[in-house]
This record gives sequence, structure tokens and C-alpha cells, in this order.
Amino acid sequence: MTALDPDAELMLRVKDGDGASFGVLLDRHRVSVVHFLYRMVQNHAVAEELAQEVFLRVYRSRATYEATAKFTTWLFRIATHLALNSLRDGKHERAQERLDDSSSDLPARQVRDVRPSIEQSMVSEARLDEVRRAIAALPEKQRAAVLMHKYQEMEYTQIAKVLTCSESAVKSLLFRAYETLRARLAHMA
Amino acid sequence: MKCPLETRDREILLAYSSHKLDAGEILSLDSHLENCAGCRDFVRAQRAICDALEAWEAPPVSADFDRRLSRRMDHQVSWLDRMMQPFQAFGFRQLVPIAASAGVVLMAGLLLERTAVTPQAPQHDTAQMETLQPEQLELALDEMEALSQLSRPVHTDNADSKM
Repeated sequence: MTALDPDAELMLRVKDGDGASFGVLLDRHRVSVVHFLYRMVQNHAVAEELAQEVFLRVYRSRATYEATAKFTTWLFRIATHLALNSLRDGKHERAQERLDDSSSDLPARQVRDVRPSIEQSMVSEARLDEVRRAIAALPEKQRAAVLMHKYQEMEYTQIAKVLTCSESAVKSLLFRAYETLRARLAHMA
Repeated sequence: MKCPLETRDREILLAYSSHKLDAGEILSLDSHLENCAGCRDFVRAQRAICDALEAWEAPPVSADFDRRLSRRMDHQVSWLDRMMQPFQAFGFRQLVPIAASAGVVLMAGLLLERTAVTPQAPQHDTAQMETLQPEQLELALDEMEALSQLSRPVHTDNADSKM
């Protein structure tokens, strides 16, 4: 018998009325969900709004929750669904506007150097801007697959479950996505 | 080792570029990369992509994220909770027959109410009887008059014959 996913155990406790367990789940996954959504829609405010909706849906669904899959698979399925809907509804246009705008809403901490020179900062920011544009230009599902593979370090099987497709379809999505990124960002190599 | 680029087994190259292979696989691929320029280029380009993506940090989550979530939960979840409170103990499958029974009761109630509200149709039979009675009387009078008219020529004829 396989051990139950610890997050699924917490969710079952939430189902039994333990509100504190929901707080633990929120603490564990708040950052990864917000960051995933931020990289999907590329707008911090929209990402946080969507992340709140994700956790609201999780809480609302507690009564019918069944621990049939990993909790994070379910969580990211909700997050991906909301992100794709948001992109289709056109909320991403705001993100694109921000990308076009040189005064990005990203805080200065995104530049990794502790005290970079102005030139270094500008180069770094320009490179990041290129990366963001390259990711934003990917088809939605390829984008989601790359973000889950790269930042959430999910296995192909889990990404397949989140995107409700086969494992081979995920591999295909990833190869095409990375191929596009390699072509667009070839000068960075 | 066969060239992954030729065998379409590029998954191993992606895993190698992301440092996700075990020691044995790394050794095997290292020796292949020494002799394969195509795979070397692939790995170099892929590692550059990985590094570039690595540098893209997301902004920190707002300090008031939990407070805002809590407020939304109070507004959106509380009323739903209150409604669902009596059913929390049931599973989805148990709720289906309850919901179906509630639906049947509701439909029956609506039908009964509709029947009670519907105005009673006028009793046409009685009305017809009432309206037909004078007609019948009229008809009877007409018939009597016709009979009396029929009897008149007979008298005339008799008169003529007398003449």
C-alpha cells in the first residue's frame, strides 16, 4: 500500500474541518503558485488575484475532495486552468503592455548582483526582458509545460496529469518549446 | 552510445542539461559528447536557456496576500458554508438522491400550487342548459305557430269547397 501524499493528508484534515491544516497548505504552496501564475500571465497583480482564486477553490472543494492524485497535481491543475482562462480572456494584454513599457513593475531584487553597476543592471534587465518575451511568445500549453518543468521541477508524468494529456504529448510540448527558446535566445549561448 | 540527436532520444540531453541524470548516465553521455559536436552544441544551447530562465526571479508575494485571501474567504465562503452546513457530513454520492428528492417535492409543490391557483373553468353544461331553455321554448313556440299555420289552409280549402 502506497503512503498518502502528506499534502493530501492535510487536505483530508481540512475536509474534516481542520482549518489550521489549510493554513499549512497555504504556507507550503503560496509562493510556488503565485510565482507559477506570475510567469504564466507576467503580471504580478493578476497573478496574486488568480492565486487567491486557486486557494479559494481548494477550500471550497474540501467537502468533495478525494485523495486520488498528488495534491500539487490538483493544485496546479486549478492554477493552470485559471491562468489559461485569464490569458484567453485578454487579461494578459496588460502584461504585454507592461513588457512593452520600459518601466517594469519588477522590483530591483530581480537583478542577482548585490551591487551591480548601471551597465550590468541594464544588460541583465535587457536579458531578462528577452527571456520574458520569449516565454510569453510560446503557445499557452508549451509555456505551462516549460514553467512546471523548469521552476516546479515536475516530472513528465505529473505535468501530463496537470495538463490532462499523455506523457509523450508533454515530451513533445517541451521539446518544441525548448527548441523555440533555443532559437530565440541563441545569442545568449 | 547512439547519438540522441539521431535516435530522437533528446530527453536524455534535456535531463543532462538540467543536471537531472545519475552518475552512470552522466559518464556515458560525457564520453559521447567528446566525440559528437551536434550533441555538444545542443547541450551548450540548452544550458544557456536553463541559466537564462534561472535568472528570471518572480517578485515576492505581497505581505497582505493572506489577509486579502482571508477577507475573500469570509465573504465568499461563509455564506456558502452556512448553506451547506447541514450537508457537510454527506458525500457527493449521498447528496444526489437527497437533491433528487428535494427536486421532486419542489415540482410537486409547484404543480399543486398551479392547480389551486388556476381559475375553475365555467360549467358550460349548466350555462348551456340555462341559455338553451328559452331557445327551446322559442323553438316550441315556433313549432306551434307553424302547426297553426298548417291548419289554416285546410280551413281555406274547406271554405273554397263550400263556395
